[in-house]
Amino acid sequence: MNKYTLTVEEFACWGCKTCEVACQQEFNPVDETKGIKYLSIWPDGPKVMNGKLDFIWRVNVCKHCNEPPCVPACPEDAIRKREDGIVILDAEKCTGCQLCIDQCPYDAIHFDDVKKTAAKCNLCYHRVDQGLYPACADNICLAHCIYFGDPVEIEQQILEKRKIRGG
Amino acid sequence: MVLDYHTEWHGLHDEQEAKMPEFRYSNIEREMEVYGYDSFVKSHCRMCHGGCGVIVYVKGGKVAKIAGDPDCPIAHGTLCAKGLASAQIAYHKDRLTYPVKRMGPKASGKWERISWDEALDTIAKRILTYKEKHGPESIVFGYGTGRENESVIYRIANLLGSPNVLTAGHFCYGPRISTSIITCGTNPIVDYENFPKCIILWGNNLTLSNPDEYKGEPFSVALDKGAKLIVVDPRLTRPAARANVWLQLRPSTDAALALGMLNVIIHEELYDKEFVAKYTHGWESFVKRVNEYPLDRVEEITWVPKEKIREAARLFATTKPAAIQWGVAIEQQTSCADNDRLLMSLMGITGNIDVPGGQVLNRQPNVVNVGQFGAHGLLSKDQFAKRLGGDRFRLASRFAILQPKCVWDAILEEKPYPVKMLFLISTNPLVTAANAREVYRALEKVEFMAVADFFLTPTAELADIVFPAATWLEMDYVGDYWKRHGYVLPRRKVIQVGECRSDHEMLNDLGRRIGQGQYWWNNYEEALDYILHPMNITWKDFKKMNYLRGEVKYHKYKEGGFSTPTRKFELYSTVLEKMGYDPLPQHREPSESPASAPELYKAYPYILITGARMPGFFHTENRQVGRLRELHRDPIVEIHPEAAAKEDIKEGDWVIIESHRGKIRQRARLVLGRDPRVVAAQHGWWFPEKKDPGHGWDESNINILTDSALEGCDPAMGASNIRTLLCKIYPERIVSYE
Repeated sequence: MNKYTLTVEEFACWGCKTCEVACQQEFNPVDETKGIKYLSIWPDGPKVMNGKLDFIWRVNVCKHCNEPPCVPACPEDAIRKREDGIVILDAEKCTGCQLCIDQCPYDAIHFDDVKKTAAKCNLCYHRVDQGLYPACADNICLAHCIYFGDPVEIEQQILEKRKIRGG
Repeated sequence: MVLDYHTEWHGLHDEQEAKMPEFRYSNIEREMEVYGYDSFVKSHCRMCHGGCGVIVYVKGGKVAKIAGDPDCPIAHGTLCAKGLASAQIAYHKDRLTYPVKRMGPKASGKWERISWDEALDTIAKRILTYKEKHGPESIVFGYGTGRENESVIYRIANLLGSPNVLTAGHFCYGPRISTSIITCGTNPIVDYENFPKCIILWGNNLTLSNPDEYKGEPFSVALDKGAKLIVVDPRLTRPAARANVWLQLRPSTDAALALGMLNVIIHEELYDKEFVAKYTHGWESFVKRVNEYPLDRVEEITWVPKEKIREAARLFATTKPAAIQWGVAIEQQTSCADNDRLLMSLMGITGNIDVPGGQVLNRQPNVVNVGQFGAHGLLSKDQFAKRLGGDRFRLASRFAILQPKCVWDAILEEKPYPVKMLFLISTNPLVTAANAREVYRALEKVEFMAVADFFLTPTAELADIVFPAATWLEMDYVGDYWKRHGYVLPRRKVIQVGECRSDHEMLNDLGRRIGQGQYWWNNYEEALDYILHPMNITWKDFKKMNYLRGEVKYHKYKEGGFSTPTRKFELYSTVLEKMGYDPLPQHREPSESPASAPELYKAYPYILITGARMPGFFHTENRQVGRLRELHRDPIVEIHPEAAAKEDIKEGDWVIIESHRGKIRQRARLVLGRDPRVVAAQHGWWFPEKKDPGHGWDESNINILTDSALEGCDPAMGASNIRTLLCKIYPERIVSYE
């Protein structure tokens, strides 16, 4: 069981993409105009879903799976799952073979065209280990829909919110 | 007067935080330790209309990181993509960091560096010469959506004696201010602090934009507290998809829709009888007018089924407290002023005005108000009377607002008198104003033009002198000075970039050079002291505070009535009546619609709407900021798949959008959630990456298509109807075969 999870409640997401830019800010120098980011938000619709015209924003980010298929896929042992559940891709060890990208069921691993390595969300472990929230989850989200912490508690919180919001 | 030093807001994450004591949001001390920042500055963002408190971390004299300030009472530490990318503008390689003068013909792209003194002296000399030869009215100052420089621009113009300040005020926020002052004394602001139980999002999506005052954060919290949601929008936005009722109206028929809802509320007696009897003016004639809009007629005008109108009206009127979150979309229409007044009527007769969780008539902190700072009282009656278009758009003129076409006409036709000089500050009208080709002709012809901006925009490329403007990171200011949520917040200078200066400092210096010395200050900090002096504090004191807030009080009208001529909430406007306008609100067809222009509609068979906000951009701004441009690489026009099939348009195709004024190109996105007769194009596009001086200003610029004719404008406010017109749309590849 993961100790930590990053959960985005897609229902509440407005698609403002602040989290994308926060991720970029964390991993690139402040005056670098372009740069890598590890999560992205995309519009699903408007289209007919479950017989109803609907429109929702989806998030694309590493889910730090319980049994991550990317770990055994890597011939260089560059991806590992820590005891707290965070799945870390070590870009130093990565040779850019892209086998992990093929294995990820969520399309959450990208290829960094500059460094020629695979790249994905490492759940800001460099921050988490220092007692800081991941960059995207540090209260920037105006919808308050990005959660970081204990998976069971987060699920509970989201259920509570759904109850209050009603049908 | 209440002096708040800390917010009492409790975000939704409190419980989560309590259970995870090792983590704390916006943990400044830890950030400083872990990243080794040298310092941090709390400030107030101004990448759009302002409002959000920020923490700016500094390392080696440069901005290293921007985060939200949880102590901010407006956004509670949440931010947007633009705010986070602010430093990318400040440090952009293409940024203008010193004044320049043009060396070749207009739009030749030949610039030479000059000193601030030379730039200001040149302009001062021009101003004094034109004032002498053609009168001060021949000099027009202008700003766009503004870098909170409104009051300082009005100050210099009024002191000079020019009644002509060119703004977006005719169709953006100005109408809300003007119509609310004449209806109920001030702009009624949604009281998110007390959680409305029903919210109508009317022509607005504050989750992706800034509707002034509050932001998307407290709106999101209100929904999470269980508020019901009604969305009025021709497009299925995410809020519309989440709404209890989505009213998908025909574009620019908002007035008719509001009249339909009022009809239901009045006939089903769902209104607040005590409020109506005691506190409104003109109820009987108002009801008569509403009766002219039975639901059958409203359905025909708006395309919204009457059952839906009834459902929304009932939900809104029977859920207390309820509020209407409005925005600019209802103002960029022919029915601008009446749209605003009708929505206020809905707020008023349902008893939601000045109640907790409804719409509050906030009191500002006791600082020198923007009107006073703007020195409107010092403009003589004779000069006031010369305001361009003032005879025609009398409500706008009363509030010092101009119709832009009146300025272009005065340059091009020299009627009623010639305009010789423009000083445009933080505005790019070549891309944002209606009928862009007309704007180009005016800017090309005007004898002298100065611009202040961050970059050499397509508008700046036509100037004689361009000043390097400071971003919010580079200035001290009283943030949200002109807002109506009752707060002001300190914006604290963090960095200096090149020779950039704030618009305020620039105009302070210019004012002293054109003989207005007694009204300006030795430095701008003294001006901030002046703004704050009624509180008996200085800028240095204010810098140490989080914010100032005006007194919070509800039901103020029960004591002294509303601040209107009748002291009542004016459903029937005595002010408009006196100005010679219809005192009662009505629906007006846009000049180009299937109903008003059936012949044109045959040749241009789609209703084109535009202006929906894109996260990361602020009108024409930020297209050179990599992180933000990545979010929207190309201009996009949304088209219904049925229409696309008919026009042989595929997803991702470059298409031509054509009105009878011109054509542009954008890329097609095929989506449901809009009427097949409606296409929605993006606005504000130019291409900073194109290095020729035009920077692609006319390739995808929606205002090549829009109409500026005064006949199509709101008769009282002069709002240009740039949101709704008729167009045809077809694949670009067909053109190349021609």
